[in-house]
Amino acid sequence: MATDLAQRQNKFWREMLNGWMSILTKPSQDTFRAQKAQSDPLKTVLGMFILGLVLGLRALAVKPAALVTGRGTEVILVDLLRMIFFTEVGFFILSLLLFIIAKGFRGIGSFLQQSYLLSLITVPLGMIVVAFLFVGEKLGLTLIAVFNPLSPAGVLGVFVILFALYGFLLLLFAMQAAHEMPASAVIYTLGALFLAWGILRIASMFIVGEENIITTEWVFIAEQWVKGTAQELLLGHLWLVAFSVSIAIVLGVTMGIFITWPSRRPKLSHLFILIPLVLFLLLWAASSGLLGEGMADQIMSAAKDWSRSLKRIDNLYFGPLLIIVAALIAKPAAVGMIMAVFTIILYALFLTGEVASDFTLYIAGIILTIPSVALFGAMIKPLGIGPFNAAFALILYAQLPILRNTYIGIKAVTPEIVEAGRGMGMTEGQLLLKVKLPMAVPVIMAGVRVSIVMLIGIASIAAYIGNDTLGRYIFEGIYRAQEKRYYAGAILVAALALAADYFLGWLQNRLTPKGLKGRRETA
Amino acid sequence: MIKFENVTKIYPGMSSPAVDNLSFTVPSGEICILVGPSGCGKTTAMKMVNRLIDATEGAIFVLDEQGDMSNVLEMDPIQLRRSIGYIIQQIGLFPHRTILENIGTVPQLLDWDEARIRNRAKELVTMMNMPIDFLERYPHELSGGQRQRIGVARGMAADPLVMLMDEPFGAIDPINRNILQNEFLRLQQEIKKTILFVTHDIDEAIKMGDKICILNTGGLLEQFDSPANILAHPANEFVEDFVGADRALKRLNLVRVEEVMNAHPPLLQATQDVEQAVGFMVEQGIRFAYVVDADRMLKGYVRRRDLKGKTGWVNEFLEPAAITILIGTSLKDALSEMLVVDYANVCVVDGKNRVRGLIDTNMIHEAVIQSTAASEAEEA
Repeated sequence: MATDLAQRQNKFWREMLNGWMSILTKPSQDTFRAQKAQSDPLKTVLGMFILGLVLGLRALAVKPAALVTGRGTEVILVDLLRMIFFTEVGFFILSLLLFIIAKGFRGIGSFLQQSYLLSLITVPLGMIVVAFLFVGEKLGLTLIAVFNPLSPAGVLGVFVILFALYGFLLLLFAMQAAHEMPASAVIYTLGALFLAWGILRIASMFIVGEENIITTEWVFIAEQWVKGTAQELLLGHLWLVAFSVSIAIVLGVTMGIFITWPSRRPKLSHLFILIPLVLFLLLWAASSGLLGEGMADQIMSAAKDWSRSLKRIDNLYFGPLLIIVAALIAKPAAVGMIMAVFTIILYALFLTGEVASDFTLYIAGIILTIPSVALFGAMIKPLGIGPFNAAFALILYAQLPILRNTYIGIKAVTPEIVEAGRGMGMTEGQLLLKVKLPMAVPVIMAGVRVSIVMLIGIASIAAYIGNDTLGRYIFEGIYRAQEKRYYAGAILVAALALAADYFLGWLQNRLTPKGLKGRRETA
Repeated sequence: MIKFENVTKIYPGMSSPAVDNLSFTVPSGEICILVGPSGCGKTTAMKMVNRLIDATEGAIFVLDEQGDMSNVLEMDPIQLRRSIGYIIQQIGLFPHRTILENIGTVPQLLDWDEARIRNRAKELVTMMNMPIDFLERYPHELSGGQRQRIGVARGMAADPLVMLMDEPFGAIDPINRNILQNEFLRLQQEIKKTILFVTHDIDEAIKMGDKICILNTGGLLEQFDSPANILAHPANEFVEDFVGADRALKRLNLVRVEEVMNAHPPLLQATQDVEQAVGFMVEQGIRFAYVVDADRMLKGYVRRRDLKGKTGWVNEFLEPAAITILIGTSLKDALSEMLVVDYANVCVVDGKNRVRGLIDTNMIHEAVIQSTAASEAEEA
């Protein structure tokens, strides 16, 4: 009878050890599935008991002061029991939380089985961690040293990371085996737990009034918001991007269309292009003094008055746009020259068509490689500092994605479809408007999306030349060595870019013709 | 009517022509097939009709609505194309437009009002044996065969006199292609369009064409004739090679069973007396006979040796007929069915299994010889 009991006990312990060993040596879903059959709440509780004991012993070993200060053995025992109790309770609470979330993702496992499988990971890995911590502390290693790639101990950091990954992988396997759910559902389950923890942790920071990067950042942004500076800069940022992108889209899509068609001969009717060209050149000549100083003075003073009166209008929402327009008005000579140059470029591309496509895309690519600070700087002389300079640079930067995607989108329309349209008697204009452009919309919109997100980033640098964009926080932060300031700029710019990208994704989906959605390429 | 007059096309920078001095005439209401190996300029020839490609020399005339022959080179290409139906492979449908908008492409270009376009589209979809709610769908929601039907409907939308078809059934599986071809032939009997049809498949050409125009590499016209004549008398070695060594078999495609069958075959009635039946068979000199009921419905067949010396009714000795041939089947298909059984002759039945005649392999052989003789006589 006694030997029987001893044998059974023997078997019980062996099974427990085998469980730990098997998941360490053969980490796979199948191992966990096999272990599911041997699930036993007693093993779970015992396993956690052992882990609690080890943790408690370590705590005592780290703080031997407790032993020295003459506390009795009972106190030590109570400490140990408390540690064991918290380990058990903590483990089961976490397991319960995971279980509830997993149920939400259609998990089908039982709580006890799941707890057993989790304990198979927690106990052996926990003990290994404790052992290493103990040894590490004895050797005088600190966490900072281990994770510093420059320190000799840094090499250990690699192992720590690998070990953590291994633990995470085991966790995935265990949850997958316990609940028979797809890996994505397991990731969501674990993610939800971490998210909940993160929210609680951050909430606790604010409740306790902890001072760290998150709380100070929050307080700073909130302060700026109450002051109204944040909104002002946000709107300034958005308007600068919106203004530049609107012009860039018109320009880029037009040029993109031009470089898809065959080259054509100039015709007499094309002479109408001279009307805007002459007007723009006149504007430039008159305001730059070529037609007499008196005239230039008159124009400039009128422009300045107009510009000033525009700037004086106090409107929170449209204020930044008015400032951009005012900056343009204040420099009629530059506006006239730029418009004239673009008119000529557009007409040239209109004539050359496809022949110039490589060249045009090449130039647009080169423009994109110019560092934005350099371009802003180079344009200070002709355009001054402020929104005019910034908008000009942003329009140039936005060209490549829009131009290239328009070109690719139109070129990607199957030749058979174009031929069908032509063969049925569509004119080239009808082909473009009714067939090519609608079919290219998704691609063009993708380019616009890339441009906008890119411009939101570049617009922050425009603060360097005196624009009221979110970049002001970044530059002020750098000059004043205020961490919270440049973090605030970075966070707000990133948030703005994400929001814009999300909105544009929605817009792209809305603009895509219904027949092109869910289309599979079938022969 | 479409008339090619000494049409030559030389692409810029090429020394040899793509289409060389091509002359032929497609009579109104007929299908003319342009066929040849790749690079023979068949598509070029077709595209010169609606001026997707302009001829270098020569003239192409198309019968217009006023009944005049007008030179396409003197017409406005846009108006010309709108007046000619253009059908290409199913990938030519506009994916971003609904079926209604696809079919309505040319009518819309011609400024028809919306109600008229919708009515016309409904009419065409019904004509193509498809439900009307397809009009609101998009091409990717349809199968390949359905899309091709829509392609044909789109070409016919503005009811053009002349239609150009560029390998319309090329990208479709053989079973559906056959169905579509038959449907189209049936349709053509109603609509009687003048059609220029390009294919590289000689079988399709023989099946679909009233006239076949065989082109050789370099756009040389090798032979322009009816399918039967081309098969019977290939003009030269090229045509002979192109139509293939099995051209005698291909000619069987052109003849239907009802044209050669014995329409008054000796038949037995199911309720006939056996003795009488044997007498009838001896008299006719046949060893077995098909048995029908009062409605000429096929019941089976009986063998003379089974009946000999027996008494009773014929239907007590019936054996089921293993194969029958449906009326309207081509001789080629009939022959291939007959080759697998050892019957001396096979019943030709209609859709209700009523016996319409008998056919045997000798009749098929004779038909081939006769049609050769007939076309020879025609030539002489």
